[in-house]
Amino acid sequence: MSTRLKTTLLTCLVWLAQSGIADAHIVSARLGDFYAGALHPLLTLQDVLTWAALGLLAGSLGAASGRWLVLVFPLGLCAGLTLAVSAGVAPTSPLVDALSILMLGLLLASALRIPVMLVCFIAFAIGMMRGAVNAGELTPQMDRFLYGAGLACAGYVVITLVMALTLTVRRPETAPISSWRGIAVRAVGGWVAAIGLMMAGLSLAP
Amino acid sequence: MSLRALLFVLLALAAPLLPRPVAAHQATLGVLEFREMRPGAYIGRWTTLPKDSENRIELKMPAHCFLRLPELNCGDKGLVGQMTIANLGEDMSAAIIRVTSLDGKTNSYTISAANPVVTVLGTGAPTLETWLELGKTYVNLGIDHILLGADHLLFVLGLIWIVQGGWRLFKTITAFTVGHSASLAATAFGWIGVPEAPLNACIALSIVFVGVEIIKQQRGEIGLTARYPWAVAFSFGLVHGIGFASALAGLGLERRILPAALLFFNVGVEIGQILFVALVLALIWAHRRLGAVMPRWGVELPAYAIGSVSMFWFLGRLARVLVAV
Repeated sequence: MSTRLKTTLLTCLVWLAQSGIADAHIVSARLGDFYAGALHPLLTLQDVLTWAALGLLAGSLGAASGRWLVLVFPLGLCAGLTLAVSAGVAPTSPLVDALSILMLGLLLASALRIPVMLVCFIAFAIGMMRGAVNAGELTPQMDRFLYGAGLACAGYVVITLVMALTLTVRRPETAPISSWRGIAVRAVGGWVAAIGLMMAGLSLAP
Repeated sequence: MSLRALLFVLLALAAPLLPRPVAAHQATLGVLEFREMRPGAYIGRWTTLPKDSENRIELKMPAHCFLRLPELNCGDKGLVGQMTIANLGEDMSAAIIRVTSLDGKTNSYTISAANPVVTVLGTGAPTLETWLELGKTYVNLGIDHILLGADHLLFVLGLIWIVQGGWRLFKTITAFTVGHSASLAATAFGWIGVPEAPLNACIALSIVFVGVEIIKQQRGEIGLTARYPWAVAFSFGLVHGIGFASALAGLGLERRILPAALLFFNVGVEIGQILFVALVLALIWAHRRLGAVMPRWGVELPAYAIGSVSMFWFLGRLARVLVAV
């Protein structure tokens, strides 16, 4: 064994023996805050509606548009969470939440062919908003990294599954938007827009 | 002295200065006695108690019990369920709870860092309600254990990655289940015993192994897991099962409820495992549907990520073993 290898190994051993992070065992490898981050948005109406509507919209535009959101949306969530935690950006108001749901519903119902870049921009912006709102649930005792990872994973799972399901419903992609499958997806968009409108009205109520 | 040797000496000298968790506190023991005065109603008192700590101890009794010392009222169900001390370690390091029933029989339960929760089954033959309560508790515990255990999930993810679904995946996951169920039972009944630190290192190493097998497969080599997935899953299932038993070991189970608790816990583990496998398969389907695949340069990234995380765990756990030796 060369001297360099011996020195490196010895150095590693000494550091490992002293290291404070060497406590990862079967219990401490647990991810409680990960699940807090993953489950919180799934129990909030605004998150569920917004995420599902975004997935429906991207899925209805086809796989070529939708596949970018697999990355873009979770990144937006992480960016929003990080911004809210580090810069103390206040979460959005209920009116903004309602308007974003209304906008997604209208886009879905109108079956507009939105360019890929614009879909990605909308997904990132909505991801940032929802990430910032979810940062409000972070407590000082929580592990921010695990919470953020949980939030991003939940975003990834929901958006990926909803997009794939929408694509399956709309199959084949070349089918005209006037086919019953396309109309069904657009009808859901109408309901989403209606809910968004009601929520906007409620948020403006004195 | 060369620069490298000087660096090594400096690192070795600096190592003890690194912050380490301070575990020093007063080791104190509390003894709490409950005596049943009429069915379901107890009078309790601390016979031994660390100084001035009576009002600070957060004793948690089963949900159906009402506790305001010296009174403890558990109604018709009696003192059945889980007891714990929420803030154990602040004022006392361990507590012994003695419960004397109407017939004069006394049972003792110890709550400590290693045994944070004790389960009381009550006297006499268990009723249907007791079994339902037990089932609910341990099924939830099993689900909780598998879903919060990142190492177990990462191993299962590695297996799915290699086997890629279908009948072979069913056989592989079943073999893993049979393996961990067998060793979980053997450990829980005390037939085998493995020290926790080396076991945890082995669990981490099993994930490293799976990571290497994924890389082999991606490079067109046929590894052991690709050839005999069920055998690998069964073998490592035995190791992981001993790890699952550590969750039960901390609950201070009575011997007579151990088989039922084990069964319910295992059912919970299986439910959690099926949920995880279903989610991963759904995501694989969704990615195929969307055509969202890794670029050529990134194909090996997930396997390296699995391998790196598990190697990190392995080195940390190995260091624990070495320190203990």
